[in-house]
Amino acid sequence: MTDDELVEQVTGAARPEPVADELRYLPAWHDLDAAGRDRAFARARVSRRLEAALDPDGLSTTARAVLARISGTLRR
Amino acid sequence: MRADLDIHLAAIVGGDAAAFARWLAGAEPVVRATLASFAAAVDVEVILQESLVRTWQVAPRFERDGEPNGLLRLAIRIARNLAISEVRRTKALPVELRDDADALGDDVAPPDPLLRRAIADCHGKLPARPRSALDARLAAVARDDADHASALGMSLNTFLQNVTRARALLADCLKRAGIAVEELV
Repeated sequence: MTDDELVEQVTGAARPEPVADELRYLPAWHDLDAAGRDRAFARARVSRRLEAALDPDGLSTTARAVLARISGTLRR
Repeated sequence: MRADLDIHLAAIVGGDAAAFARWLAGAEPVVRATLASFAAAVDVEVILQESLVRTWQVAPRFERDGEPNGLLRLAIRIARNLAISEVRRTKALPVELRDDADALGDDVAPPDPLLRRAIADCHGKLPARPRSALDARLAAVARDDADHASALGMSLNTFLQNVTRARALLADCLKRAGIAVEELV
């Protein structure tokens, strides 16, 4: 996989859910160097704005992922 | 900051997920922006999503201090503390922290209707394959890219290239309409 493809994967909002409070990173994130991680962050900021503008409720894929998680969890 | 997202607070405390969604629409980009200095050290998307889930969980115990956007400021603190904890846990290189106040100046209002229409128009002009790849991500965020690629009959590499191409085409189209995507953030 090329660096740009790895950056694109990390740009997406899909992430494995934590297991027993341990956070799990996207494997592709580990394959990027610092510059690639910064590129993915910058690309994600733009992408989420575009996604929110395309969504009828103004929600990005990050917001949708969070809402999916809270629908299946109890408040502590 | 132009809007006070705490207008949703009472409903959020009462367990209203739809109110939390409205709060998220304004809060997410601001919290993300405060994590910029951690981008090379931690997977910011993981930190951000976990912080927003924790904000929902602790919201019933949140006490206002009289200043606007109290829940947003709490979310920022949760996110930064979690990022710092992850830097320590993973022994990542230390990061140079930026002041929260920079991002708190960001606009928490949704995009205006004209901008939304311009983006929708450009989205409608995308070629079929880039558009289908982008739409797959928008439609089912819980699925990973390999699943999206498989459902569309693409290899993972091709799927990722199509998403990148879709975003670039959107940016070009918006530029022709006088909108620079870099200025959206």
